[in-house]
Amino acid sequence: MFSSFRLSMAWLHTWFGLVLGYVLMVAFFFGALSVFDREIDRWAIPESRFEPQPMPSFDKVLKPIFQSITPEDEELEAARERVGGPLPEKLPLMNWSAYTTHRDPVLSMYAEFAVTNNPNDPDEHVHGHVTIDPRSGEVLPHDRLKIGSGFFYPLHFSLHLEWQSLGYWIVGLAALVMLAALVSGVVMHRKIFREFFTFRPAKHIRRSTLDLHNLTGVLALPFHFIFALSGLTIFAGIYLPVSETMLKPQAQAHAMEEARAKGLAFKPSGTPAPMASVDAMVLEAKRRWAARDMPGEVGFLQVHHVGDANGYVSIYRAGSDRVALVGQAVHFEASSGRVILEEPPPTPVASINNFLTGLHLQHFRHWLLRWFYVLGGLMGCVCIATGFLFFVEKRKAQHSRQGSNASRWVDALAVTTVTGMVLAALAILVANRLLPVDLPHRGDWEQRFFWGSWMLACGHAVWRSAPVARGRLAPAWREQCWLIAALAVAAVALNWATTGDHLLSTLARGYWPVAGMDLSLLVCAGLAVAAALRLRRAERGSAAPAAAPEAAARDKLVEAPRV
Amino acid sequence: MNAARIASRVAASLLGGYAFVWGFVTLGIALGLAVGMDYDDARTLCNLLAFLVFLSCFCWAFAHASLARVWGVLAGGGLLMTGAAWWLLGTTAL
Amino acid sequence: MSSPVLLLLPAALASLAGMGWLALAMEDNWQRVHRDRPLRPGKSATLRCIGALAVAAALLLCLRADHPTMAVLVWVMSLSAAALAVTLLLAWRPTWLAWLCR
Repeated sequence: MFSSFRLSMAWLHTWFGLVLGYVLMVAFFFGALSVFDREIDRWAIPESRFEPQPMPSFDKVLKPIFQSITPEDEELEAARERVGGPLPEKLPLMNWSAYTTHRDPVLSMYAEFAVTNNPNDPDEHVHGHVTIDPRSGEVLPHDRLKIGSGFFYPLHFSLHLEWQSLGYWIVGLAALVMLAALVSGVVMHRKIFREFFTFRPAKHIRRSTLDLHNLTGVLALPFHFIFALSGLTIFAGIYLPVSETMLKPQAQAHAMEEARAKGLAFKPSGTPAPMASVDAMVLEAKRRWAARDMPGEVGFLQVHHVGDANGYVSIYRAGSDRVALVGQAVHFEASSGRVILEEPPPTPVASINNFLTGLHLQHFRHWLLRWFYVLGGLMGCVCIATGFLFFVEKRKAQHSRQGSNASRWVDALAVTTVTGMVLAALAILVANRLLPVDLPHRGDWEQRFFWGSWMLACGHAVWRSAPVARGRLAPAWREQCWLIAALAVAAVALNWATTGDHLLSTLARGYWPVAGMDLSLLVCAGLAVAAALRLRRAERGSAAPAAAPEAAARDKLVEAPRV
Repeated sequence: MNAARIASRVAASLLGGYAFVWGFVTLGIALGLAVGMDYDDARTLCNLLAFLVFLSCFCWAFAHASLARVWGVLAGGGLLMTGAAWWLLGTTAL
Repeated sequence: MSSPVLLLLPAALASLAGMGWLALAMEDNWQRVHRDRPLRPGKSATLRCIGALAVAAALLLCLRADHPTMAVLVWVMSLSAAALAVTLLLAWRPTWLAWLCR
C-alpha cells in the first residue's frame, strides 16, 4: 500500500491523528485539569473550603455515619435493569470503605450492598456514598457535584459514556493511537536531534506551526508515551477481560486460594459478630508502618463482611511520599482486633505496575511535579492542536482552489475541540456559581450547562469558519478567545460575589486551592486576550510571515498562531 | 490505494491487532501458570507488555507491504495463540 | 533529606543550564546567540560535555530531595521544561542565553 516505511508511518500519523485527535485533546486537557481536581472541587463546593484533615476516629465519628448510608438511587435503577425486575426488600450490607488523600479536606465514605436475585451474576451489588466534613462529622449536601474529581476527571478517561463502557474503549483507542502517533512522528521527523531546540515563529505559518507541533511532541515525549501507556495498563481489566472470560476459573481459584492462605475470608460466614475498636487497629497499623521505617497516615480503610464473624478490616497507608499509590496494608480480624496479616512487600512485577499506576494517578505530595504534569498535559494539547492547524494550513489553499469544504470542516472541529472545550469548562464553573444553591439535581444542571455550551461553541465554529474554504483564517478562533477571556473573568468575579472569597483574601490567608484557581482563571483570560489580539492582526489579511505568538501562549491551547 | 484496501488494512491493524494481543495475553498467562507463577503476577506482567505488543502490531500492519500476510499473522497468530492457551488451560488443569 | 526547595531550585537551574549548553553545542542555535562568531568544533564538544554534567548534577540533586521513584520523574519532567524554556528563549530572546557561553 505504501512505497516506504516512512510513508506508511506518515499516513498512519496523519489520518489516525486527525480522527482520534479530537478525543485525545479531551483526554489531555481534562487530564491536565485533573492534576488539581480536588482543588477545583474546593472552588466548586464552598462548604469544603478548609484544610485537609487526617481520617477521623472510626468508632466515634465514622461508624454511625456508615450505618446511615443507603444505596444510591441511580445504582438501584441500574441494578433493576440488570436483574430485569424488582430488587429484594432488604439488601444485605457487605463492605464499608473510607478514602482520603493529603489534598482532601473532606472524606469520602462508601458502602456496598449485595443484590441477591440476579441470576446472571451472583456477585451483583450496589453502592451508597456520602462525603463528610471530618472535623464535625457533618454530612455534606448530596447534590454538590465535585466538578474536578467527579466530572472533569471521569470525563478524561470515559467521556461520561458509560453505556457498555463505550467511552472507556474510545479513550483507550485514542491512547493506542497516541502511542502510534509518537512512534510514527519520530520516524517521520528526519532531523529530530538537529531540530530539538528549533522553533521559528517568524517563518511562514506552516513552518512555525510544524515546529511547534514537533517541539511540544518531542520535548515531552517521555511524558506523552508513559501517560498513554500507563492509562492503558490501568484499565487493562476492561480492555483485556481475560479474568472474567477465558481465565475465569483460574482467576477465581487464585482469589479463593489467596484469601484462604492469607486468612482473609472470601465470603461472609453468616454468623453475626460485634466489631472491635477500629481506632485501636489504626494505631497498631501506624505503629507497624513506623517500625518498618515508613511512618504514615491512613489513606484507605475497608471493612469487609460488616458485622459477620468472618469480617476483617484492611488499613492501607497513604502513599504521599512516593509514587506507588496506597500500600503496606495491615489486615485485622474485625471481631477481635487481632492482626491477621501484614501485607508482604510486593513482587517485582507488582512493583512495576504500582509504579506505573501511581505515576499516572498521582496521589503523592509534590507540588513541583504536579505543575510539571500540568505543563506536560498542556504541551500535549498544543501538540494535538497544532497538528490540526498544520493539517488545515497544508491543505486549505488547495481545497479552496478545488472548491472543497474539507479544510473548513476540519478547522471548525478544531475550533470546537480547542477553544470550544475551554469554553465548556469555564461555562460549568460559571453555572456552578450562578445556579440557585437549593436547586434539585443541581449537579445535573451544571453538567447540562457544560454540554450545552460546548454544542453552542460547535455551532458558532461551524457558522464562523466559512473563510477557511476560501483559504483564509476563520474569525471563529478570535471570537471564541474573547469569550474565553470574558467567562474566565466572570468566574473569578462570581466566586467573589457568591462566596466572598476574593483573590486578595485567599492569598492573604494562603488558601491555595481557591487562590490558585482564581489566578489560573485570570492567567487564562490574559492569554486568551493576547491570542485574540494577535488573531485580529493576522486576520487583517496580511500576507506577511506568521506573527509570533506569546511565549506563554505556547503552553495554553487557546493559542492559534496564524497569518 | 482504494477505499476497500484501506478499510481492510485499518481493520487488520485494530481487529487483527486485538486478536493477536488477546492470544498473547492468554497464552502468556497460561505459560506463566504452567511454570508456577502466581496468577496475579502472570496477568500483571502480560498486561504491562500487552499494549507495547499492540503498538508493534498496529504499526507493523501499516508498514508491511502484503495485506494478506498482515491478516494472516495478526488474526491467524491471535487465533493460534488463543487456541494454544485454551489447550494448555484445559488439558493441564492449571 | 534537606529541605526540598533548597535542592529542587538548584536542580531546576542545573537542568536549564544543561539544556542551554547542549543547545548551544549545535551550530544553528549558536548562530542565533552569537551572530558574529562561528562555533569551533572544540567548543562544541566542551559545551556538550558540561551540558551533560549539568544534567547529571540535576539528577543527583533531585535524588537527594525526594524518594527515588519521585526524583526520577521530577528530573525527567524538569528536563522537558528546561528544553522548552531554552527553545523559546532561542526563538525570542536569544541574547538572554549569551551568559551561558561567552
